[in-house]
Amino acid sequence: MSRARTQSATAAAVTLLLALPALAQAPASQPAPPPRAAPAAASAPGTPGAPGAAAAPPAAAQNPPPAPPSRPPAGAVPPAAAPASGATAPAQPQAADGAPPPKLDANAFDAALKDYFDNKPERAARELYAFIEATPPTDENYAWAQYFLARSLIDLNLRHAGAVYLAKVAHERSNPQVLPKTLEALKVLTLVPHDEVLIDEQIFGSLDLGFLPDSVSDYANYQQGLVDLRVGNERWAKTHFVKLEEESVEASRAKFALLVTRLKNAKAVDDQMIDDFLELSKDEKLTLEARNEARLAVARLRYERKDYEGALKAYSMVQLPSLDPGRATLYLEEAWTRYNLGQLRATIGLLTTLDAPSFRDEFLPDKYILRALVYRDLCQYLPAKRAAKELNRRFSDSLEAIRDRDDLTQDFRLRRAAASHGSTKRAGRFLESLNVENELLGRFAGGFGERLYKHLTKIYDLERAEGERIYRQRLKEAVREEADKLLRADEQVRLMEYEVGLKLYERVKRGAKLAQTEKETPLTSVNLNFKFDGEYWNDELRSYRVSIPSRCIEEGAQ
Amino acid sequence: MKRTLLLLVCLAPLLVHAQGEELENPGTVSAVQDRTYRMASELWIGIGFAPLDAFYKGITGQIGYVYHFNDSFAWQVGRGLLSYNIPTGLRNQLETQFGVNPTAFPQLNWMVGSDVVWTPIYGKTSWLNSSVGHFEVYGSLGGSVVNERLGADVASGVGTTVFRPAIRVGIGARIFSSKTISWRIDFTNDFVIYQGIEQNIFDVQFALALNFGGTE
Repeated sequence: MSRARTQSATAAAVTLLLALPALAQAPASQPAPPPRAAPAAASAPGTPGAPGAAAAPPAAAQNPPPAPPSRPPAGAVPPAAAPASGATAPAQPQAADGAPPPKLDANAFDAALKDYFDNKPERAARELYAFIEATPPTDENYAWAQYFLARSLIDLNLRHAGAVYLAKVAHERSNPQVLPKTLEALKVLTLVPHDEVLIDEQIFGSLDLGFLPDSVSDYANYQQGLVDLRVGNERWAKTHFVKLEEESVEASRAKFALLVTRLKNAKAVDDQMIDDFLELSKDEKLTLEARNEARLAVARLRYERKDYEGALKAYSMVQLPSLDPGRATLYLEEAWTRYNLGQLRATIGLLTTLDAPSFRDEFLPDKYILRALVYRDLCQYLPAKRAAKELNRRFSDSLEAIRDRDDLTQDFRLRRAAASHGSTKRAGRFLESLNVENELLGRFAGGFGERLYKHLTKIYDLERAEGERIYRQRLKEAVREEADKLLRADEQVRLMEYEVGLKLYERVKRGAKLAQTEKETPLTSVNLNFKFDGEYWNDELRSYRVSIPSRCIEEGAQ
Repeated sequence: MKRTLLLLVCLAPLLVHAQGEELENPGTVSAVQDRTYRMASELWIGIGFAPLDAFYKGITGQIGYVYHFNDSFAWQVGRGLLSYNIPTGLRNQLETQFGVNPTAFPQLNWMVGSDVVWTPIYGKTSWLNSSVGHFEVYGSLGGSVVNERLGADVASGVGTTVFRPAIRVGIGARIFSSKTISWRIDFTNDFVIYQGIEQNIFDVQFALALNFGGTE
């Protein structure tokens, strides 16, 4: 009992201690806002702290876009009059040169919005930035100005700069009416290369979910669940995922993320996991890419369990858009599956596919080993030896760089392979988009004016430096993985060369005869046979068949 | 004997080269695909032009039904053609200035017939390197019954018509638009027989074909 009481007392004390700073920040204890310098502005409705603010909220707060938010009814005092006061008491970030921002006209905000809705984003951006500079953050239009500045910048394809301003609105949360639109705009930005730390982690990953509108609450819950999954806390992730609407896209994506995480951590694969992935692969709410990922997961799991027929079935379920060449890994994995099923000619067919120009730059050391294995199994020893050697020939520079312990990020092939997938690819794409946007920014130097241009240049310079750092860091890790892959393949190639060398000079016994060749599947009336002459057609990539004789000698020969 | 040896010596390098090539690059590669478009019951409707006769030009409308036994052979069960004839300047000139009897100008009225169709070519082609189109080329052979209207009777208003048998040969191509819809272009010639080959009716036609019951 006494123990329990002690705990309560401790808890109460802790609560009190925690509450103290909060109480200190509570509005009641705050001093009254400083009086506006301009008396006219202080009396304007909508000015924070003014008596009329609550009674007559500005149009900006009531009528969010597409109607210009601060456009008041005729005859009413415009809420944008507030900036006039702000102009005299700027508390905002100074321009890069430290010069005070210029004074603004009373209708500056309205004029800027007009320009925005008149489809003049360049001009609107300049005016909105001037407004933000000259206005205190407590101004009711401040958040709207940031929002529309972001929208103007996004319209000009300066997405990152737009995202920075949207993120400011989301962080500051000074105007609850701007927030839903801001989050929706940020959600759209996640579809293109973006700053993952800024948007995914710092905004969606840390939002207070209680007040969010339905349109973004699912997405925020999903992102927060993902953050938890990444740090290995599935239980916390689930508390976010259970809040998702059952029929929402995010719910399907969350299921996928959960399954992938479980798969990563699982020591053994069970049927349930395969069935879950299979079910997910039929979920129309997922994108085609995600459904294909689920199918690939089914195929890989079945392969791991040596259910090659099942794996093949799952690979055939992968749907590609018309004339899409697909992914090299898909063909290579299918080729391994067919090899394990003893379908040597079909395997070579798929390896022929991997020679297509679409996959010429792919980093697939396994391809050469598999080709050598198939030729070896068909007792075609010379081609087997040649296929094995091809790996060394093709990756000789990379192998030399690995052996010499050079900086592997400088190796062209390894760098390209490392940057072609995963988080490195995302970081690379974001960096690329930053560079493009930075170049684009130069075109608006005149239109934006010196202050906004300097400010944005600074934003882009900082972000590019950070983007470059993240990209290099990820590249360094990814390139090591690719180097390991190459070294393993090189080792197997040496073994293969040795084995084939032995076979090549093996004596043929007297009376030996060629073994029975595997029967090729005959063509039916519905089949068309286009002889391959080195010209690849994307619609044929999954259809190559190879007719190749086996040169193996029967065991029973004397 | 010496010549044989010399020949063998000359041929030996060629044989070695061929064998070496086979040893280094064994096998042949083919793309084996299921036929994307297969025809079954086809109903088509077309519009054409009969340009050959010097005394009239025919604008033809034609309709037909084809049953496809397989991907190569089909029977054009029936087809019917109606021709709207436009006299040429030459005919007008002959009639008005040189007093040529209008009976000298038999003209096509309508025609029905049936043919066998052989499709030896099925292929695909690339359109602007962005899409793949499928097509087939076929030939046809059949018979027709031609209904001709004599110019003299038209002039007098009596309207005598005559029937003539004809042998039709044709060649055409089809471009597939979907499993159901395809577009045809046909070049046909009917050899009208009456005491020998009386005349040729050449027709160029564009048609829309609807396919029913084709397999996937």
